[in-house]
Amino acid sequence: MNSATVVRIALGAYLLIFFSYLLGPLAVMSLTAFNSAAFPSVSPWACFSFEWFRVLYDDKHIRDGIYYSIIIGIGTVILSVSMGLAASILLTQIWPRLRSTYYTLIIAPILIPGVVLGISTLVFWDRVGNFLGASDGSFLHGVFHNGIFLTILGQSAFIASYAMLVFVARLQRFDPGLTEAALDLGASHTQAFRKILLPFMRPAIASAAVLAFLASFENYNTTTFTIIDYKTLTTVLAQKVRLGINPSISSLAFIIIVLTIFAALAFEAVQRNRQRKEGIQQGKQKPDTKSVVPPFLRGNSAAIILVLLAFVVIAMISVAQSYSAEECKVRVRDARQIEIQKRIDELNKARAVKEQAKPKPSEAPAGKTPSAPATNGAFGNVFDPNNLTNETPKPEAPGGSGAFGNVFDPNNLNNDN
Amino acid sequence: MKKKMIFSDFFRNNGLGMGSLLIGLVGFWLIFLIILPQLSMLDYSFRFNLPPAEQGGPKDVYTLSNYQHLLYGSDTSHQTYNSVDLKVFLRTILAAMLVTLFNIILCYPLAYFLGQSKGSRTVRLLVVLLIIPYWINEILRAFALRIIFGDSGLLNEALMFLHLTSEPIDFIRQDIALYAGLGYAYILLMLFPMYNVIESLDRNQIEAARDMGASWLRIHRRIVIPHAKPGIVSGATMVFMLTAGALAAPQILGGPSSLWFTQLVYQWFNDSLNWQQGAAYAIVLLISTIIIVLTVMRIFKVNMGDIGK
Repeated sequence: MNSATVVRIALGAYLLIFFSYLLGPLAVMSLTAFNSAAFPSVSPWACFSFEWFRVLYDDKHIRDGIYYSIIIGIGTVILSVSMGLAASILLTQIWPRLRSTYYTLIIAPILIPGVVLGISTLVFWDRVGNFLGASDGSFLHGVFHNGIFLTILGQSAFIASYAMLVFVARLQRFDPGLTEAALDLGASHTQAFRKILLPFMRPAIASAAVLAFLASFENYNTTTFTIIDYKTLTTVLAQKVRLGINPSISSLAFIIIVLTIFAALAFEAVQRNRQRKEGIQQGKQKPDTKSVVPPFLRGNSAAIILVLLAFVVIAMISVAQSYSAEECKVRVRDARQIEIQKRIDELNKARAVKEQAKPKPSEAPAGKTPSAPATNGAFGNVFDPNNLTNETPKPEAPGGSGAFGNVFDPNNLNNDN
Repeated sequence: MKKKMIFSDFFRNNGLGMGSLLIGLVGFWLIFLIILPQLSMLDYSFRFNLPPAEQGGPKDVYTLSNYQHLLYGSDTSHQTYNSVDLKVFLRTILAAMLVTLFNIILCYPLAYFLGQSKGSRTVRLLVVLLIIPYWINEILRAFALRIIFGDSGLLNEALMFLHLTSEPIDFIRQDIALYAGLGYAYILLMLFPMYNVIESLDRNQIEAARDMGASWLRIHRRIVIPHAKPGIVSGATMVFMLTAGALAAPQILGGPSSLWFTQLVYQWFNDSLNWQQGAAYAIVLLISTIIIVLTVMRIFKVNMGDIGK
């Protein structure tokens, strides 16, 4: 084996580890959404079921959370994108000696822990409210203690920095001569901004807006302090995960993952389609008119996967409408009963063997001889809560008490082995 | 005088309306969202936790008691250290450093691989695959790890199936789940800055070094790593700050007996309703992390301007 092969194998193994660390947990979580077991798990697998999606859909807290997350997201996008754009334009014009100080100031919010931003926002606006003499219950007091208002401000403080980074990258390619030419030709500053700079920045504004919305939507550290008595999706989720988990959270995660994959594929497909069109325009590729495949899909694997995935999702939703896991659940319950039964049998047998080994008074054989299997029926429902009061096993007690008396002694499990 | 000239230049270049809009937006951001809130938090941390009636009264004076609490605990004798909170603080800082180091080691080979084989279809697919977990909520990612590391989780089931262990291992109580979760949470913020700088490295430099007989290790030490330094430091800064300030992962994956420093802050705010004490703890966290980051940047001679590229 030469060294190139070794390197290649090592690289493959490394990539495998890296990607399973990154994607494995998400895949496992997605699977748990379809397991009917009440605790999110893949093994033991109970039943394939869609019921957790129904539970998720019926959850009012999550729906409220999504609603407020979207409102806050929109507010944050508007505020942070405009502040980020303004900050990036200033960066190109600022006096060179101030430039690095200014850059440090506008990049710093990214590095401030989210917890600190949340706390400082909360404390500051509480103070502003007090300073303006807002008393409890007045309008001003309401505004400065409104979770939505505070969260938008707290999140925008650092999301504006992300937006600014996107704009700076785009502005580096802007030719200020264009604006100057427009001004020379008599455009006002506002016109020059609207007609020249803004169209040039449009792609960057779009991506900064998407980025800002996502960052706002998934923010937890800042939001948890500033949200006060409202809820966002993340704070609802955090509360649920801490208090008690069930697979409806997995089903939400699954939906988000599928949407993400859709978005990523759609983005990739559009990119490739644009490349293809540019290729045709420049005459590098010939438009193929004979093929039956629509031009959007031709040679565009991302688009093909996208369409296939859409079909899979539609098929899954239609199956979910008619599919019922009830039958399977009954079967699983029965199987579990049998399993429990089996365990009890084993316990009994082991106990009987032990009894045999011990020299015992004459009554002992009664417990382990043929009567033992026959008595098992009585223990079949041992885990039925009524058992303790009913004491159905009693009838065998005179003969079997020696053999079965200590079956449920906690030490038994250890002794038997 | 000079400043006035700058401002007049600025307004001549942008017009009065656009100029004031720009300045207004940036001013609002920097002053009302960043500087004043931080200062007011600093001010808060030096005050007593008083009922509303006594605020502004004669008892409302500056004090160091909130910081003393972190050092010495609540007893007034100041003889013994507040070992519980200090331990949490040190553990948070040390663990954040270790997580950062772990992320650097794990990401560097991938960043190098992706950065050097640019443009190929596989690489584009890999980058798309990488972005997907980045878009999933932090809480959900922690939840995913909890499913795997739980008592009857996949990992324990697998270990028991392979007979590597007979009893389920309590990953949560032993903080293994927490460290894995923290490493998982921000790993992409390490990867992408590294990938970006390595992508800009001219391949010819590596070829030239190889032609001249440099060993594989030497190429990385003398060419790739010096070139990638701004990206590595920028990624490390972000991962360190975010890990030290993480709240979701410790809340979800942390064991019942071990706390993260942000959880203490959270408790002061939401459980004890002592905002002043919480603000003091937050200030300690902010200042100590900034000092560590600035020290590291000075040691490696990286500028603030490299962050976020």
